[in-house]
Amino acid sequence: MSWIREGELNLLEKISANILKAGPMPKHVAFIMDGNRRFALKNNIERQEGHMQGFNKLAETLRWCKHLNIQEVTVYAFSIENFKRTKDEVDGLMELAKQKFERLLDERENLEKHGVCIRVLGDLNMLPLDLQRIIAKAVVTTKAHNKCFLNVCFAYTSRYEITNAVREMAWGVEQGLIKASDVSEALLSQCLYSNNSPNPDLLIRTSGEVRLSDFLLWQTSHSCIVFQSVLWPEYSFWNLCEAILQYQLNYKSIQKARDLHREHQALLQLEADRACVAEYLQHHGNGKPADAQRRQEALLHYTTCREERIQDFLDALKHKRDSFFDDLESEAVVA
Amino acid sequence: MALLYGLLWRFLLLLVHVNRALVSWLRVRLRSWKGRLWERAVAALLLPLALAGFPDQQKKLNRNPDANANPVTGKRTANRRSRWLSDGRSLEKLPVHIGLLVAEEELSYTDIANLVVWCMAVGISYVSVYDHHGIFRKNNSRMLEEIVRQQQDLLGVEGSKCNVEFLTNGTDEHQRHVVSCRPTVKVLSPEDGKQSIVQAAQQICRSVENKERSSQDISVSMLDILLRESKNIPDPELVVKFGPVDSTLGFLPWHIRLTEFISLPSHRNVSYEDLLGALQQYGTCQQRLGQ
Repeated sequence: MSWIREGELNLLEKISANILKAGPMPKHVAFIMDGNRRFALKNNIERQEGHMQGFNKLAETLRWCKHLNIQEVTVYAFSIENFKRTKDEVDGLMELAKQKFERLLDERENLEKHGVCIRVLGDLNMLPLDLQRIIAKAVVTTKAHNKCFLNVCFAYTSRYEITNAVREMAWGVEQGLIKASDVSEALLSQCLYSNNSPNPDLLIRTSGEVRLSDFLLWQTSHSCIVFQSVLWPEYSFWNLCEAILQYQLNYKSIQKARDLHREHQALLQLEADRACVAEYLQHHGNGKPADAQRRQEALLHYTTCREERIQDFLDALKHKRDSFFDDLESEAVVA
Repeated sequence: MALLYGLLWRFLLLLVHVNRALVSWLRVRLRSWKGRLWERAVAALLLPLALAGFPDQQKKLNRNPDANANPVTGKRTANRRSRWLSDGRSLEKLPVHIGLLVAEEELSYTDIANLVVWCMAVGISYVSVYDHHGIFRKNNSRMLEEIVRQQQDLLGVEGSKCNVEFLTNGTDEHQRHVVSCRPTVKVLSPEDGKQSIVQAAQQICRSVENKERSSQDISVSMLDILLRESKNIPDPELVVKFGPVDSTLGFLPWHIRLTEFISLPSHRNVSYEDLLGALQQYGTCQQRLGQ
């Protein structure tokens, strides 16, 4: 089955989509596609077949999202915790992933036509090397596309992602690119695997479980979270509409909470900068108390320097990450 | 056409609002109806014991600050306490740490204090209270006073012996009251969320700056230990969210990895049965931990 589904919505769906689009629409939706195994059990089919149908549902959901003007989708495909499953099932899932990414490469032209950019979030080093290479190839091939974005979380947990971000910042400190005092909420967000995406507006979990299971914990702290009881392979257009409606009901209060959080963050950054400047002036002020104007100038100067430092560091980090994929991909070509 | 769709959308939204209001109204009605039925049943049972009107009175006593002045009510609080405790025991599983997330604009200290006391009475060891404006934290002492008061109210004099350790974050100052079974209450604000992760990151980066540590040593468990702040409080297994907003609103992002979220419509005038319902729902949840 292919990644990209052509086809229009039917009339009723189209009308409902238009009605929903009259309200605020989420730009980025994240899915925890739960319930494939329960679906298989319920319908007396093989577990692997359940996963297969789950993937088909993803392709269908992407089509709906396209029609609903949702440009970005993030899905939880495989958690680091999933490595604990039986070897058979893990191997089956790896094989499925390999097939699907190979299929994706076959559909290159179609992806280009729709402008689909695929990103894979997670620690690829945990995967078998052949899968790593295929993933790298898919990521590098679609890198320049910019109409819609699909982020696949693979070998991912949120705690691991946050820890990795801290590790990257510590690397920046080691390299002398940033100072420890430059570490901030904004910088940490920039070091996550998801640094190229805005935070999801809506997170949907299917199959009636009411927890996040270590998925996008950082990014969804001000997102609308919707738990639905339907199993993922049975997910329908109407389930998606219901979730979007719930997002629209929540829109105002969540927006308000986001603004509040943003203001608070800006305030914290200013305070941190002030503290750094005060320390600097104490050391270099020859004991004379600095006047207000001088302090203001010093603060401005410091802020500019900090921003430059951080930009250089982020460029270096981006280069490091890009070359990881490029190297894997060129290896794949040689192999 | 766009105008028509816009109108239809507004109409749809209105419909959902009406639907919600209706459902919550029905819930309240249903509960009071059920409650009355229950009261009648109990009254009928207790009448021969010359304790007529006991259930009605009990309800009023919930809000009566002088409850302990009267020896009869003292017995009643004891009764109530043992009922709560046995409720807690009868649940399939009970969270060790519960979070109470208030996603409403108007806050009620009394209702939150009630919830905290009920949580402790059924046997939950750690209770965290959170609102995303940080108002509870700002008024920490008022919150704690209210909890102590409600505790005396609801559990009686004896109950208040079974006391509480309050943790006030950041200042490291422990306001300790008498200790026996020692449940812990913590008032949280957004600063305990992402900001505490940032602080831990900064701390790690400082030690890297001073060449005490290498970036390669950083691991999930290391960060986890730093974020636990030496106190061995487990992650919350259950968060009960009050209010119409479907979001965690910045509640401890690191710690809610496996937390179950259960929503209740409002914390104002919330009843013990509401909380028990949420706990029962939690009791039936299964966790597979990735398997």
